[in-house]
Amino acid sequence: MSLRQLIITALLWVSFAIHGQNKQLLYDFVEIPQAAMINPGVATDFQWYTGIPALSGISFQAGSSGISANDIFANDGLDINDKIRDRAISSMSPRDELSGTFQLEILNFGFRGRNPDNFFTAGMYIEGDAIGYWFRDYAILAFEGNADRLNQRFDLGHLKTRGELVNVFHFGVNKKVDDDLTIGLRGKLYSSMLDFRSTKNKGFFVTREGQNNIFESTLNADMRSQSSGFNEVRNAADNGTLGSVLTKRALFGGNLGLGLDFGFTYHLNEQTVVTGSLLDLGFIYHANDVFNYSLKGDTTIEGIEIVLPGAVSNPDTDFWQDLIDEVEGFLPFEGDRKKYLAFRPTKLYASLRYNFGEPLDRRANCECGVNASRNSIRSKYTNSLGGQLYMVNRPRGPQMALTAFYQRRFGNFMALKTTYTVDKFSYTNIGLGLNLQAGPVNIYAMADNLLAYRNIAASRYASFQLGLNIISWGRN
Amino acid sequence: MSFALLSSCIEDQDFGQYDQIEVIPTYEASLLYIEAPESLVNDAPTNVAFSQNFNFDAFSSKAFSERVVDGTITYIVENTTNKEMSITVELLDGDGNVLDTEILTIEPAPAAQLQRDIAYGDSGKSINIIKNTSSIRVSATNLGDNSTTSDLPEPKIILKSSGKFRVRIK
Repeated sequence: MSLRQLIITALLWVSFAIHGQNKQLLYDFVEIPQAAMINPGVATDFQWYTGIPALSGISFQAGSSGISANDIFANDGLDINDKIRDRAISSMSPRDELSGTFQLEILNFGFRGRNPDNFFTAGMYIEGDAIGYWFRDYAILAFEGNADRLNQRFDLGHLKTRGELVNVFHFGVNKKVDDDLTIGLRGKLYSSMLDFRSTKNKGFFVTREGQNNIFESTLNADMRSQSSGFNEVRNAADNGTLGSVLTKRALFGGNLGLGLDFGFTYHLNEQTVVTGSLLDLGFIYHANDVFNYSLKGDTTIEGIEIVLPGAVSNPDTDFWQDLIDEVEGFLPFEGDRKKYLAFRPTKLYASLRYNFGEPLDRRANCECGVNASRNSIRSKYTNSLGGQLYMVNRPRGPQMALTAFYQRRFGNFMALKTTYTVDKFSYTNIGLGLNLQAGPVNIYAMADNLLAYRNIAASRYASFQLGLNIISWGRN
Repeated sequence: MSFALLSSCIEDQDFGQYDQIEVIPTYEASLLYIEAPESLVNDAPTNVAFSQNFNFDAFSSKAFSERVVDGTITYIVENTTNKEMSITVELLDGDGNVLDTEILTIEPAPAAQLQRDIAYGDSGKSINIIKNTSSIRVSATNLGDNSTTSDLPEPKIILKSSGKFRVRIK
């Protein structure tokens, strides 16, 4: 499969569905190479690994904090319009969100350096990420209107959304500093294919009792949307050149940015480990194919107002057009192509793990280093128990998730990890991850919110990850 | 995990309900405000104090006319002159044809204000009147004398109006 085909395949995932995904199952799952992608400072014992192209890391997540498909489309005999009114418009808050993310690794590989304390990783992946908060007041205006809602302010700030499709090239260094501490740093080069954001809107619309006429309508707006890539992609779709244009934009032909990941693993003692990572501390500078729109100003109208006799001194006066011109003058809707800087959704992970039970045989080649004492690899234990923290910055502020986990290893052949996670989507999120190692072949699969599978339509959150790798520990 | 996936269930869903979604909000706003001082009424050469056509494309614009379902126009007349007045409001189409006429007669001050709600749609006049209206003609006729003035400060005849319409978005 050519690179172009790979990218197009990846993009099909975007059209299927598209939040920084909390990968609580994968985090610190040290048997899986992709764990390094969410903690560059993970303690790793591989000599080298390579992901199977396009299959090494596939992850998808979608969540809705306020409503599920079942709430609206259940075949329950209720009028769907009543369900929308009761369960969405009247019940959901502007903090409720609909969000999704996917990640598809195209390439991922890692190898130990001449200094066996150093491990290098590199690769490329495509990531799509979108979030939209519930635009409650807009929904009220659209479904019910402003009638009989005198003095009710409709908040224009309820429109808050962003999304992007980006190709990421990365290179990371993982260094074992001593027996207790491993640190990691990863540099990222972002090649943005598509981006949209409208996250800093302010203003209101209100209907009040008029000073002269029956009502006065006031619109106060300070709204802005920014986008890049859409015009070129739309034209390419029309011309049948979508694949080549997207490939071009993915391979540095779009908008570029830089980012960094940091991470560490620290052994407090033989069996207790604390880890942390900060991911996607970066930005993308959008200068190519940029289209922005703004609506800024303030106007109050009471319909056409005519005060005689002065108003009709010019019989050709078009009062309606004058009114339109006045509104457009006070509240201009404008477009521009100003370049803009977009910060990536930065994520933070942290964990505390206690290992117990039988130590397992070490797989790493501990005779590979010249400094055997520094190159020693700690044993894994049969059981691990701990807690994790995840945070991601979002347009309405940071979102957090707390996870408790238990990991069980069955020799070096299989490992299971189960998690219980609490976040804004669910208080009953139980997940399960499985890692299998058959010789050099590594395969993993993970899914969470398993209780929701009792009725998938009622689930407000779904997520899975899977991948296939070849791993070597350097033993022949 | 496999067990969970294999044993997953889904309650009966009917996505065909999407076709039954009706988005028909009701919007209201002021339409037209006219005020004329008593001096204008007295100074008019005839008993027609004024008559004026006002372009009003809001109703006939495609965005509105293709979606409006029904609604009400509310007129409020306030008269602080000392004359009985008659206000005639005519809704005209693009060719100047009169589609609808409303005559609002109000007693001299201190008459209470006059309010009239005109329904269009299933429970009133044809909604096509609204859909085809592109201008409004307002005439004010003095049914009293033209030599005396009201004792009230700044005597005027005022016409206020607003529209309240249901619009089908889906």
